[in-house]
Amino acid sequence: MNKIFFLVVIICTVSFPQVNNSSKSMDLFSPINVKKFADYLFCQRDYLRASDEYEKYLLNNYNDTVAFKIGIANMKMGNFDIASKKFSAVSPKSVFYDLSKLEHLKANFRIGNFYDYRNLYEDLNLNQDFKYTFEARELYNFSYFFSDASLPPRNKILSEFPQNEQPQINQFYDWKSSPPYKSPLTAAILSTVVPGLGKIYTQEYSDGVFAFITVGLLGYLAYANFHANHNFRGWLFSALGTGFYGGNIYGSAASAQIYNAKISFQFFDDLKKYLEEHNYFIPLINFCK
Amino acid sequence: MKFKTKSILLLIFFLFVKNEIFSQEILEKQFEYAKSLYNKEQYFDSITEFKRLLFFDSSHKFNFLADNYIGDAYKMGAKFSDAIHYYTLAEINAKNYNDLFLAKVNIIRVNILRRTTDRALQLLDSLDNDGRFLNRKKEISYWKGWTFIFADKWNMASEEFAIIDSNKTLQKLCEKVDKEKYSVVFAQIISHLIPGAGQFYTGHYLSGLMSLAWNGLWGYLAVKAFINNRIFDGFMITNFLWLRFYNGNLQNSKNFAEERNLKITNKALGYLQFDYVGTKP
Repeated sequence: MNKIFFLVVIICTVSFPQVNNSSKSMDLFSPINVKKFADYLFCQRDYLRASDEYEKYLLNNYNDTVAFKIGIANMKMGNFDIASKKFSAVSPKSVFYDLSKLEHLKANFRIGNFYDYRNLYEDLNLNQDFKYTFEARELYNFSYFFSDASLPPRNKILSEFPQNEQPQINQFYDWKSSPPYKSPLTAAILSTVVPGLGKIYTQEYSDGVFAFITVGLLGYLAYANFHANHNFRGWLFSALGTGFYGGNIYGSAASAQIYNAKISFQFFDDLKKYLEEHNYFIPLINFCK
Repeated sequence: MKFKTKSILLLIFFLFVKNEIFSQEILEKQFEYAKSLYNKEQYFDSITEFKRLLFFDSSHKFNFLADNYIGDAYKMGAKFSDAIHYYTLAEINAKNYNDLFLAKVNIIRVNILRRTTDRALQLLDSLDNDGRFLNRKKEISYWKGWTFIFADKWNMASEEFAIIDSNKTLQKLCEKVDKEKYSVVFAQIISHLIPGAGQFYTGHYLSGLMSLAWNGLWGYLAVKAFINNRIFDGFMITNFLWLRFYNGNLQNSKNFAEERNLKITNKALGYLQFDYVGTKP
């Protein structure tokens, strides 16, 4: 019986620290649990809460992965300003340092702050140890398609991209160097000469044919009425015809501007899609395996 | 020896139970904390804490309640899709028919709020046909009534509320709205027959008079032109003037009836939102 008693005492002595350990692991707000929970939220794509939890964790601990993931979470939420600050604060000792510089470039790119973007790129380019020079250069060269700065020579840009991507980049270069815009002045002149022709030039075919028929019909009605001495009706149709004619000239110029806006939008949309497909030339890291 | 082994096993069991109870207490506290945040209308934080609870609750004891609260909190923040996602999880984690019914009704209520009333009715019909909820017919009718209100079918809403004895208030309100509402089709038909009549019907007398006058004038001139064999003039006046005013009159009568109806229904919805004390979507 004594032996059993001793055994009970020993087990109880051992058991209390176990309970304490257990309580520690069940402290939902302990740093390790906060991080675990934040990782879960991050993988659930609840980036706002994940970012908050990571920030809480970083108050008393430092973890370069966590610091990097806060930046990624902000990028995912479209908070590029915050993401940019977070990436710039990643320690040079971190394994994510080079990648965070690349993400920092992307954040500035997404903000549209091409001045800061280019400065940052120049700094990175000078750094011999930077691992992602090729990727950074790709994004740098791609940025020319978005800005108004003059394009570098075609071969220089193409040489920065892999062989299989060059045809697409070449197409972007063609568009950017000579955009297939329609001239509003040409559209107006064409419609002055032949009503509706300006609309056809801007690929508004049905409008063009309608304008031609309407102006032609009103012109004919005006002529026929003057000829039959119905002067009032003659003047009425003349006025209407002139209105349509003038309106068509103005409409053709406006149509050219709309056409230009449309194809510009399409071009930038294609650029963005291309970048999204290539993750802005940044290697993907899966934190949620 | 046998006694010793039993004692040791008992002790181990005791320690295991103690640990479990301890963890449950922590989770219980977390649940209360999250609930208190919800009650203080701190919905964002409340969602975070309920999600934390779900993450650490390996026994899944709180799944239904937490999912339901998260759904409620998302609903309060008008994040209806997220709310439905969590109510669906609550439905999956329901432990009895009451929980299941609650989760299903919550999904229906969100569908009513976001005006996907066809979906709400579809779900209500499936509840209606579900043998497990035979004793909940009145609640089903109640939510059907609300669905019809949001679908702008006040007469059908009134019929549903009539099934529930205790809710004469809603039945009367729906009947009143249905009676007050103008018939858009009727307004258009009478405007087809007598231009301006639809405007008169909806109380826009000046507009009705103007419409009648313009249509009378252009109609008269058109007919006169045709009688005098001025066919071209007749066509021009009919096409560019008379028909233009005639169509405008039809469009106006439709718009006026719809505007009036919107005012009537908005007033009723305002009452339901601010003054009605019963359960709302």
